[in-house]
Amino acid sequence: MAEALLRVEALDAAYDAVQVVWGLNLQVQAGTVTSLIGSNGAGKTTTMNVIAGTLPARRGEIIFRGEDITTKPPDLRVGMRLSLIPEQRQLWPRMTVEENLLLGAFPRRLRGKAKENLKNIYEMFPRLGERRKQYAGTLSGGEQQMCAIGRGLMAEPLLLMLDEPSLGLAPMLVDEIFHYVRVIAARGVTILLAAQNANYALQFSDYCYVMESGRIALEGRSEKLRCDHHVRRAYMGAAS
Amino acid sequence: MDAADFVNLLVSALLLAGIYAAMSVGMTIIYGVMKIVNLAHAGFLMLGAYYVLELHERLNIDPLVGSVLAFPVFLLAGMLVHWTLVKRIPVSDQPTLASLLLMFGLWLVLQNIGYLIWGSSDRSILTSRTLSSMHLGPITIPTVRVIVFIPAVCSLGLLEFVLRKTWYGRAVRALMQNRYAGRLAGIPVEKMARLTFGVGIGFAGAAGGLLAQLYSFSPDFGHGFLLRSFVIIVLGGLESFWGAAAGALVLALVETFSILVLPAGYQPAIAFSLLVLALVLLPGGIAGIFAKKHRWA
Ligand SMILES: Nc1ncnc2c1ncn2[C@@H]1O[C@H](COP(=O)(O)OP(=O)(O)OP(=O)(O)O)[C@@H](O)[C@H]1O
Ligand SMILES: [Mg+2]
Repeated sequence: MAEALLRVEALDAAYDAVQVVWGLNLQVQAGTVTSLIGSNGAGKTTTMNVIAGTLPARRGEIIFRGEDITTKPPDLRVGMRLSLIPEQRQLWPRMTVEENLLLGAFPRRLRGKAKENLKNIYEMFPRLGERRKQYAGTLSGGEQQMCAIGRGLMAEPLLLMLDEPSLGLAPMLVDEIFHYVRVIAARGVTILLAAQNANYALQFSDYCYVMESGRIALEGRSEKLRCDHHVRRAYMGAAS
Repeated sequence: MDAADFVNLLVSALLLAGIYAAMSVGMTIIYGVMKIVNLAHAGFLMLGAYYVLELHERLNIDPLVGSVLAFPVFLLAGMLVHWTLVKRIPVSDQPTLASLLLMFGLWLVLQNIGYLIWGSSDRSILTSRTLSSMHLGPITIPTVRVIVFIPAVCSLGLLEFVLRKTWYGRAVRALMQNRYAGRLAGIPVEKMARLTFGVGIGFAGAAGGLLAQLYSFSPDFGHGFLLRSFVIIVLGGLESFWGAAAGALVLALVETFSILVLPAGYQPAIAFSLLVLALVLLPGGIAGIFAKKHRWA
């Protein structure tokens, strides 16, 4: 197999004294969708934040595009085209939709193309275009998620990490958001998706990691895990 | 009080508000981006005053020009202070004791440098404008107040423009609202903090130069203005510029009109009383009142 786009090795992560991720190994192949599933508090968000650089790694290595980025600050990782769309969207509520999107292109390399990329985002999410002058804090949940995704795309990521993009959305909107994720993947963006809802994640991804209390409990091709007894019972709501 | 007196007071309150807003904005921007309460603000106001005094006395540079010249010099000084001291304290989304102590200590150091260089006697800047006044119908205004008001308001307008229209300004606003999201968007937080600290100190230096044209000063200068800046920021809700402008106006109005009912000796108590009132009644500041009417998350 070719060198993976992202390789995480023996990663430990902690909040001050409390360690929450232990010896995590994970790979994301270019051009694929990889999912990271696990129940409440398993450590998915922590893992993604360490990969994005907003939380330091306690131990271990993060290799992206063949380069060790373990100690790089987050802005340099964005510059290397690794972006995280965080849990809870984290928009700037008292800035307009357009300002939120534009700031996604803050790294200097992207500024020249910001206007053009903005147009593409509005084409993809017409509802954001209609609301461009509105404060992001006044958007509905689904629109906020679109805005967060749009902001992430403004950085032209090679690897896009999505942390629970469907969190708190009505089922219809969940479908819509996953439709967009599919569109993004079809454009060749590699995706790492964290989700509690394994049904979607497994349908959607090529490869899947199952996290349980800070460790990878299970991994494999998604079509295989879909049939796995333990996964079906623990994460897909199947009766035992 | 007749109508002319009233208008006179109103005009002087407005003029005062302009300089108050310019004086507090440096503290606001630093607090917003770094959540550091810059207690050393008063020290930089004082240094700004002496800087303009020295330029005036030694090189015969007009104090207005001197105030403008203070901005770049203090900006660089601020960046240097950030680079050597401020960046060492842990980043936080809340004001920390460490940052308060550092800034307080820095203020003491600046003050003592002031005593060392300039001694403790009161100084003031006198120009041909100092004693002249303008007459507009029944209204009489000291010329120097108007002359100081104009650059104060222009600088605020310029800052507002920068915050709305430039990459740097948008990033500043973003960091004020959600630093974590800023990091994820690729905003280099430490560089931004350094530059913003510089801008905040730049404003303090320039504002000190403007204040020096209105009041006499000593190395102890700034005490009262630090408290006032604090009141303005708290009234303004700590991270909103329009809020700070509104806070400055409220403070200026109350101070100006209080002379009708309060002996001058109680003046300093006004800012303090307003601070207590604001903390008790308006935890979100003036902007908080409006925020409730909108759906600002
Ligand atoms: N800021 C924090 N400080 C301390 N502990 C934290 C912090 N954030 C998360 N934790 C703890 O770390 C563990 C992993 O949390 P994390 O948010 O990574 O899980 P998750 O898999 O994303 O869960 P969810 O599906 O609920 O989003 C939990 O036990 C949580 O309580
Ligand atoms: Mg999570």
